[in-house]
Amino acid sequence: MRSRTGLVGLVIVVLAAVAACDSNTPSRSGAPASTQAGHPAGHTATPTTVVAADASPKELRAQFEQLLGHHALLAVRLMRSVVARTPELRQAAEAALKENTGALTQLVTVAYDDAHSDRFEQLWQRTVLDLTAYAEAVDAGDAAAKQSARADLGADADAYGSWVAAASDGRVGDAPSVMRTHVEYLTRQLDAYAAGDYATAYRVERQAYEQLFTAGVALAKGSVAPKAAATLDAPPEQLRSAFAMLLGEHMELIIGAQRATFAGAPEFEAAAAQVNANSDALTKGMGAIVGPQKAAEFQSAWAEHVEGLMAYSTAVAGSDEAAKAAAQENLSGVAGRLALYLSDIVRNELPVEPLTQALAAHDTHLVQGVDAYAAKRYSQALQMERDGYQQMLGVAGALVGAIQKTVKPQLPVGGSQTGGGGTAHRRR
Amino acid sequence: MIVGRRQLAAGATALALLAGCSQTGAWRAEPPATATSRAPDQAAGGVDAARGFRSARGYRATPVPVRIDIPKIGVSSSLIRLGRAPEGTVEVPKPWEVAGWYALGPRPGEPGSAVILGHVDSKEDGPAVFFRLRELRRGDQIRVRRADGSTVRFVVQRTEQYDKQRFPTDDVYYPTLTPGLRLVTCGGEFDATWGHYRSNIIVFAAVRT
Repeated sequence: MRSRTGLVGLVIVVLAAVAACDSNTPSRSGAPASTQAGHPAGHTATPTTVVAADASPKELRAQFEQLLGHHALLAVRLMRSVVARTPELRQAAEAALKENTGALTQLVTVAYDDAHSDRFEQLWQRTVLDLTAYAEAVDAGDAAAKQSARADLGADADAYGSWVAAASDGRVGDAPSVMRTHVEYLTRQLDAYAAGDYATAYRVERQAYEQLFTAGVALAKGSVAPKAAATLDAPPEQLRSAFAMLLGEHMELIIGAQRATFAGAPEFEAAAAQVNANSDALTKGMGAIVGPQKAAEFQSAWAEHVEGLMAYSTAVAGSDEAAKAAAQENLSGVAGRLALYLSDIVRNELPVEPLTQALAAHDTHLVQGVDAYAAKRYSQALQMERDGYQQMLGVAGALVGAIQKTVKPQLPVGGSQTGGGGTAHRRR
Repeated sequence: MIVGRRQLAAGATALALLAGCSQTGAWRAEPPATATSRAPDQAAGGVDAARGFRSARGYRATPVPVRIDIPKIGVSSSLIRLGRAPEGTVEVPKPWEVAGWYALGPRPGEPGSAVILGHVDSKEDGPAVFFRLRELRRGDQIRVRRADGSTVRFVVQRTEQYDKQRFPTDDVYYPTLTPGLRLVTCGGEFDATWGHYRSNIIVFAAVRT
């Protein structure tokens, strides 16, 4: 159960999306290059966003969702780097996961208390180690080691379930199955990836992200009183969560497809198929809010955005400087058009100019991220991924907030007069 | 629609903050990492595939619903389209024996809660199309046929009665990305002076997977 004890003076780091850009700040610890959580020389390791000690249940939920969703994807990156035998990428992914675990632990401290967060950190670190052991077993083709790692991961899931039950005073009961499903997705995607079944690997990767992102609400609910927990089931909050999940997923899937451009055609096509699946889901979601005609318009504007990003990474992978420049110029125009469209559907609740800037920032994260990846600056690539993911969720929150302000006044009011005779009353 | 200045300013500020970082933050050059076996490889063949990439297009709206069947309570009705009444409520079907779909909301089977209304009874003819709606229980089946001949199936999650003065607007009409169905009729006490029931019966259903 949530406790404020010991939280006074907690360092609050907010708006990491803003802080993330402080690329000119020297390394704070003065540590040598590449030793500070795997970050390259000259780039400060930006702390992941952590909520304030008096965060609302909604803020806790949003943070759990963000960090858990990111954890799932970083675990995918780490496990694949093992079987792909890319030690620098593995090192960067391990550092990013460590940072993610640290942020999650801080969040657990805020949501629950210090004693529970210590245990959580131990469990989470052990799960990461066991996932790595599984990946190493897959890479070595060692069936016995795989089996052993699976058993360890099952024990991790049970231990996590016990922790959640204790931390939440028994109000979150399905944690073991949530963690078992999480582990199942991660091991299945890796088995498929190692076997060259990229369609399955990328499809299951998406499932893994969605499953763990949506598990965030349970951890938030378990940390607050039942009445406060009930507010998280309200339709506006559900809408925010669903859109944030899809827009964060968009960011991550684009990154996956960008990187797959440097692999073979089968891997790229599998990654791109999931990008399109996400775009379909977003379009249908928009349709639920603005109707089919506007949804079709959204899809066209969104397609330009996605294709523009892929054109840039294709140019990078093809070492085509002219095409890179053309793609960047195109992206600038696309951001403006997409912002105009989005501002229109929320009836100018969000003005075009800052929306354009926010979309341009999203593009910049992806552009700089693929540049870093192509140059094998993996720490920077993963840093851009995390910062871009956080920034995208921030945009999602602002966009959904504006949608909510637009939608609410348009809803029908009151009950319906669907009876006139009293027959139904008399028969009772 | 009048845009609240404070809201607009807050949204603009939030977005400006979110946008600000990458506008100014140029990443420093880094020393190249050591090449590895599965590092980025320009010659791997993904570039040609990426050049052929096309984002999802050709959005097709879900066909409109034309019929509803609820075997448990013997309902089999065509569907008429409903809009909004002048006072802001959803229109109700004119014929007592026919159900209606709120056409300004989602279509059954697409993300969001599609809403279908039907009368429970009439003064002249007694029981109407949704006379037995309140008998539906968790697990009962609902079928909605659409204009293209396809059928989407729903399963009842719960049936609730609400006073009309406390109608759960958000639970029924608020946008969601989860496909669902809400069936609405009247119930509870009948106010003979008013000529209406005091409550609504609402069936909450989810797409059957």
